[in-house]
Amino acid sequence: MSQSTAQPPSVAAHSGKHELPEAARQKISNVKAIPAMPAILMPLLDLLQKPAEQVPIDEVVRLVSCDKTIAAQCIRIAGSPLFGLSRAPETIRSAVISMGITRIKDVVLTFSLGQILPAEKFVIDPGVFWRHSLGCALVCKKFCEISGALSPERAYLAGLLHDLGIIVNCMVFPKEFAAAIEQAMRECIPLDEAERATMGFSHCETGRVLAEAWRLPDDMREVIACHHDLDMSAQSAPLVAVVHLCDLLCRIRDLGYGYYESRRIDFMHNAAWSILSATDSKIRTMDLERFTFDMDEAAAEVAILVDSVFAGKRA
Amino acid sequence: MDAKGQPTDPAFPQIRNVIYQVSGIYQADSKLHLLADACGKRMSALKCASPREYLEVLTTKVNRESELRALLNEVTIGETFLFRSMPQITALRTIILPELMKDPIKQLTKRLRIWSAGCSTGEEPHTLAICCLEEREKLLKGWNIEIIATDLNDRSVETASAGIYGDYAMRFVSDLYKAKYFKPTPDGKRYEAREEVKQLIQFKRLNLREDAKLVFMKGMDLIYCCNVLIYFDSSSKSRVIQHYYNNLNSGGYLFLGISESLYQLNDQFRLVHFPGAFGYWKAPPGAAKT
Repeated sequence: MSQSTAQPPSVAAHSGKHELPEAARQKISNVKAIPAMPAILMPLLDLLQKPAEQVPIDEVVRLVSCDKTIAAQCIRIAGSPLFGLSRAPETIRSAVISMGITRIKDVVLTFSLGQILPAEKFVIDPGVFWRHSLGCALVCKKFCEISGALSPERAYLAGLLHDLGIIVNCMVFPKEFAAAIEQAMRECIPLDEAERATMGFSHCETGRVLAEAWRLPDDMREVIACHHDLDMSAQSAPLVAVVHLCDLLCRIRDLGYGYYESRRIDFMHNAAWSILSATDSKIRTMDLERFTFDMDEAAAEVAILVDSVFAGKRA
Repeated sequence: MDAKGQPTDPAFPQIRNVIYQVSGIYQADSKLHLLADACGKRMSALKCASPREYLEVLTTKVNRESELRALLNEVTIGETFLFRSMPQITALRTIILPELMKDPIKQLTKRLRIWSAGCSTGEEPHTLAICCLEEREKLLKGWNIEIIATDLNDRSVETASAGIYGDYAMRFVSDLYKAKYFKPTPDGKRYEAREEVKQLIQFKRLNLREDAKLVFMKGMDLIYCCNVLIYFDSSSKSRVIQHYYNNLNSGGYLFLGISESLYQLNDQFRLVHFPGAFGYWKAPPGAAKT
């Protein structure tokens, strides 16, 4: 998709302290093959915004059937040890039923987003990247199920898409981005800090360009652009805050970018926590220790799921 | 059992929740089979016909407190080894020590005090001593390091002081550290900590229920208390935690076992996360938000 289809930047996009330099913006728009949004993505997301019990299975089967590669992946993964079936399902319908609506969503979204960029173009291990994205999606969802402040499905989507800018960086600025990752690993610092130090901008700014090109909804654009800069967020500040916290939690509990970030995080004194506490009394009494224990459990499952999706891609 | 080998009886997650509420120890879904094993032993002893019946013993019967303690003994049974919680150890060396070293008062006193409370047979204080020795030529150069290791049980203190460990306890100790900080025992079957390791540690018998003695454990920078609080009822536990808080220097940390938490026990400590671990921070007055 070319830059010409981009919408005007969202409210938050130009109100903050971090701007994408014009030269970088130009470079992105000159790249002919800015990744197109997978065709199945938006209809599937619309469908899956509903609670699992209200999603019509026939409609999911029809959508999955539209993409032969994804359909084959669903059948293969439903037959993997992850789901404990005695034999592999033979139809898309039986694969969807055996995995369940919640799991099929994880598999299809991970796989369809994984198709955006070929593995060889990733500067970082694609498995690690999607493990973080899917992990963040699941943690955001769980967080909102407990707090009740925001739609868990909306938070899931925001978690899944928050780091889209990394795809742009891999594609348009591979050398500079590789240097940023190297610095982040060497100094054990957050990736966005290393990006700003080496490239002058981060995946938040480049992600915003892709989000505009894909015409993603305003709240998703705001999450993508502001999840490392809470004070830039506006209308969707609570959603940005949820993604900010869950992204941090993932990075500190084995669902990060595969390197050690040497830092102490005091979640309950984090600005994002204050934003959420102001509107949601349940946050104030949340058992964060127990949430962390549960998250570790989820991290192991996410790793298996993403690894099985990417094992299929490599095969 | 389900496809992942976990028990399907809905009483087990409920028993897990009872244990968590009382002790702060959490058994994740993937560890429920261990809980089921522990419950199985207690159910046989009590002749309970089902997990549901055993849950009733734990929640409604007059002997519920003693039974819960018996169950906790089964849950936390046994294993202890050196370098048990690597995320805590890595956080100590890469985040906490560099931060403590920057404190202007600590730079003047150049004194680091660590308390291993409920040290059992000494695996934890020996691990801490090795970490400190590794930093002695770098971060801790010129520093006076004191590790105080206490336990209620005389025999544990005696075993801990000897610093002799077999293959099981040593299984996560690298060959480099084995050669550097241990020597083989005369029979060649075990490893004994070298003098330089032992010299950093003072072993003492201490009952954590004796308030009068706990008052004297002042000036700690770090307190480790792993799988000990489970043996206390709620009010004694709060009291011990309060002592820990009072005994820590401002800016110091309390670490519990890897599946333990202080949830609802104390609101003075600040819960802080490190990569793969969390601890409880006695934040200095006016500490910055992060």
